[in-house]
Amino acid sequence: MAGSWWMSCRRFSTGFTTCGLSETLRCFIGRSPYSPASSTGRPFLSSAAGKEKKPLFPAQIHSKASHLIPSGIRHRSSLLYPTLQSCSCRTTHSDAKLRDPFTLAQKDLTSLYDDIKKELFVAKTELNYLCDYYFDGRGKAIRPIIVVLMARAMNIHSNRAGDLLPGQRTIAMISEMIHTASLVHDDVIDGSDERRGKRSINEVWGEKKAILAGDFILSAATKALARIGNCAVVKVLSQVIEDLVRGEFMQLGSKENENERFKHYLEKTYKKTASLMAHSCKAVSILVNSDPEVHEIAYQYGKNVGIAFQLVDDVLDFTSGAEQLGKPAAADLKLGLATGPVLFACQQFPELHAMIMRRFSSKGDVDRAWQYVLQSDGVQQTTYLAQRYCEEAIKQISRLQPSAERDALIRLTEIVLNRNK
Amino acid sequence: MFPAPASRLTRLGSVSFRGLRCLSLFSSSDSSTTWSKVVSDAEKIVGYPTSFMSLRCLLSDELSNVAMHVRKLVGTQHPLLNTARGFVYDSKNNLQMRGLIVLLLSKAAGPSHASSDLLPQDMISGIYPSQRNLAEITELIHTAFLVHRGIVNLKEWTDSDGPLKDMEFGNKMAVLSGDFLLANACTGLAELNDTKVVELISSAIGDLVQGIYYESSCSAEESLCEGVDVASWEDQTFLSHGALLAKSCQAAMQLAKHDRDAQRQAYLYGKHLSLGHKLNSDLQPFVKSRLGEMTLFSLSAAPVVFHRQIIGNERWHQQLEEARTLRNQLDYTKLLAAVKSEKGVSSAVDLCRYHSNRALEAIQAFPSSEARSALENIASAVTKF
Repeated sequence: MAGSWWMSCRRFSTGFTTCGLSETLRCFIGRSPYSPASSTGRPFLSSAAGKEKKPLFPAQIHSKASHLIPSGIRHRSSLLYPTLQSCSCRTTHSDAKLRDPFTLAQKDLTSLYDDIKKELFVAKTELNYLCDYYFDGRGKAIRPIIVVLMARAMNIHSNRAGDLLPGQRTIAMISEMIHTASLVHDDVIDGSDERRGKRSINEVWGEKKAILAGDFILSAATKALARIGNCAVVKVLSQVIEDLVRGEFMQLGSKENENERFKHYLEKTYKKTASLMAHSCKAVSILVNSDPEVHEIAYQYGKNVGIAFQLVDDVLDFTSGAEQLGKPAAADLKLGLATGPVLFACQQFPELHAMIMRRFSSKGDVDRAWQYVLQSDGVQQTTYLAQRYCEEAIKQISRLQPSAERDALIRLTEIVLNRNK
Repeated sequence: MFPAPASRLTRLGSVSFRGLRCLSLFSSSDSSTTWSKVVSDAEKIVGYPTSFMSLRCLLSDELSNVAMHVRKLVGTQHPLLNTARGFVYDSKNNLQMRGLIVLLLSKAAGPSHASSDLLPQDMISGIYPSQRNLAEITELIHTAFLVHRGIVNLKEWTDSDGPLKDMEFGNKMAVLSGDFLLANACTGLAELNDTKVVELISSAIGDLVQGIYYESSCSAEESLCEGVDVASWEDQTFLSHGALLAKSCQAAMQLAKHDRDAQRQAYLYGKHLSLGHKLNSDLQPFVKSRLGEMTLFSLSAAPVVFHRQIIGNERWHQQLEEARTLRNQLDYTKLLAAVKSEKGVSSAVDLCRYHSNRALEAIQAFPSSEARSALENIASAVTKF
C-alpha cells in the first residue's frame, strides 16, 4: 500500500502534499450513498466545494498547535476562531446571527434531568438513588443539546415550526440516558473510581450494583423509546446499544499492523462515541421528515461531530490537567489504550509500537509513551483530524435550510474543537 | 448485624444455591424424570430443537472472544465460570425453559384472527416467526442476567479468596458478555416491529433488574431481609423470577394480535408458573436432604421466609444463634432441622400448589390442543417433589 491515508494526512499537515488528503479522508469522513464530499447536488454549498480543498491548513495547524496548551484565553477566542470564519458555509450566511448553542438549546432542556428521574422512578429507594446519581446536572449534556438543536433545525427544514415534537424531546432524554448507562458500565470495566468529580458508583456501592444500575437506566431508556411508538426510531436507537458494546469489545484487542490499527481506532471511536450522536440525530429527523437523504444529513452531522468530539477527548487526555477533565491525565495510557495521539506519535517514534502491543503494561511504559507523544506532533495531528471531521459535519448540516439552530450546530463544532474539558 | 464471615458464607451459599437451583429440578429422583419427560415432550410439539438462543449471537466474534478469555478463569472462583459451565452442561432443560413456554403458548393460542398482515402460511409448526424470535430474545435476556448476577464486588474480595486480578478480569468479561447479550436482545426486539412488545419486554428487564438488585442487597446484608414476609417475598420473586416470562408470554400474544384477554391469561400463566417453579426449587433442600448430607440453602428461600413468619423474628434469631458454630459459621444441617420442625415447609408446598393451579386455570382460556396439554403438564410438574 503506497502510504496509508493517514500517513498522507501527516504529510499534508506538515505542508508537503496537498492533493492526497481530501481523497484519502473522504474514505473515512462522510462516505455515504447520499452525500459524498464530491456530490454535486448540494443545495446550499454549491460554491464552496472547491474552496474548501485549498491549502489553508498548514497555517491552521500552527495556530491550532499554539492553542494546545490549555488556557482560559482559548475558550474566549473560540468565538472568533479563524478556521470557521474562513469557512465558506459561514460566509454564505454571514448575516445570520451567531448564537450560542447552549443558550439556544436551553429552553428545550430545562426539565431534562427531572424527566429522566421520572423515567427512573422505582420503589426501591437505594436503586433510585444510584440511578439518579449521575443525573445531577453536572454533566455537559452535549448529546441532548445536539439532539434538540438538530430536531429544531430539521423541523424548520421540513417547513414546520421549530418547536420540538414530544418524541424528539424524548430522544434527547434517551440519548443522555444511554450515554450514562454506558458510562456506569465502562467505569466497572475500567475500574475507575472517579467520574465527573465524584466517586464512581462502583466505588461507592460495589461493582454488582453498579452494573444493575446501568442495566436499569438502559431498560428505562428503551421503555421510553418504545413509547414514542415509531418502529424506525426504535431500530435506529437500538443499533446504538449494540454499537456501544461492540466498541467496548474492540477496545479489548489491538492490531499488529499500523494501518489496521488506525482503522480499528476510528471504528471503535465511531461505535463508542459517534454512533449515539449520529443515530439520535437521525432519529429526530425521522420523526419529522420522510426523506432518507435528509436523515442521512442528520446522521452524517452526528457521526462527524461525534468522532471529532472523541478525538478531542483523546487529545485532552494528554494536554489537560486532571482537574479539568474530571479524570486523571493519561487515563487511556494507564488503561492500555492507544488513542490517536499515540498512534500518530508511533509514526515518528517506532519504539512506541512494542509498547502499544503490550498495552503499556511494562514498568515505565506509560511515562515513556507520554513523553514520546508530547515530543511528537501526535497531538497536533489528532487535533487536525478532528478539525477535518468538524468541517465535514459543517458541510453536511449546511445543506439544511438556514435557521438559528442550524447555525448553532455549526457553532457547536467550534466548541467541540476548542473545549478544554 | 452478623459478623462478616457469616455473611460471606451466606453469599457463597447463595451462589452454590443458585447452581443447585439450575439443576435441582432435574437431578436424580422421580421429580426430575417427570420434568425431563414433560420438557422433552413439549419440545417436540414446537418443532425445533432446543437451541433457541440466537445463533447469530452465539457465533459472533465477540462471544467467541469471551469464551476464549473465560478459559483464563479456570481455577479461579469467579462465578462467571459456573454460569458458563451451566450453558454447556444444563443447556437442555432449564436455561431454555422460558423460550419453550413462549413457543408453546404461541402455538396454543393459534393463528391470528384480527390481523391481515399475519398469514397462517407463515407459521412454522403453528408458530409465527416473530414469536420464535421473541422466544430467543427472552432467553438472551435471561442469560444476560445470569451473567450479570455473577458480578463480584471487588472490595469484598480478600486475598485468601484468590488473586484480585482474576476477579477484575472475570468481572470485565461478565459485564461485556452480559451487555452483549442484552444489546442483541434490544436489536432483536426492534426487529419485531411492534413498539408495544418493545415496551413490555423493556419493562420486564426493568423488573428483573429491580428483583436482582433486591436479591443481592439481601444476600449481602442480612439485616435488609429482616421483616420480609411471604407477601413481599412473592412480590420480589415475581420481579426476579416471574416478570420476564409473564411479560414474554403476553408479548407473544400481542405479536399474533390476540385480544387483551388472551394476553392477560398468557401473562398469568407465565407469572404463576414462574412462582411455582421458584417455590419448587426453593423447597428442594427441604424435601430432598438425606441425613448426614451437607445442604446449603439461601436464608431467603421460601420455606425459611415462611418459617420466620410463623415463629417470629425473636425465635428465628435465637435459632440462628444456636446454629452458629464456634468458627462463626452457620450449621446448615441444624438450621434445616429447625425449619423442618415447623410448618414453613408445608406452607411453601401449599403455596407452590396454589400457583400451579392458578397457572392451570389461566391456560384453560385457550382451546384444547397438544400444546395446551404440554403447558398443563409443565404446570403440574412444578408440584412434584
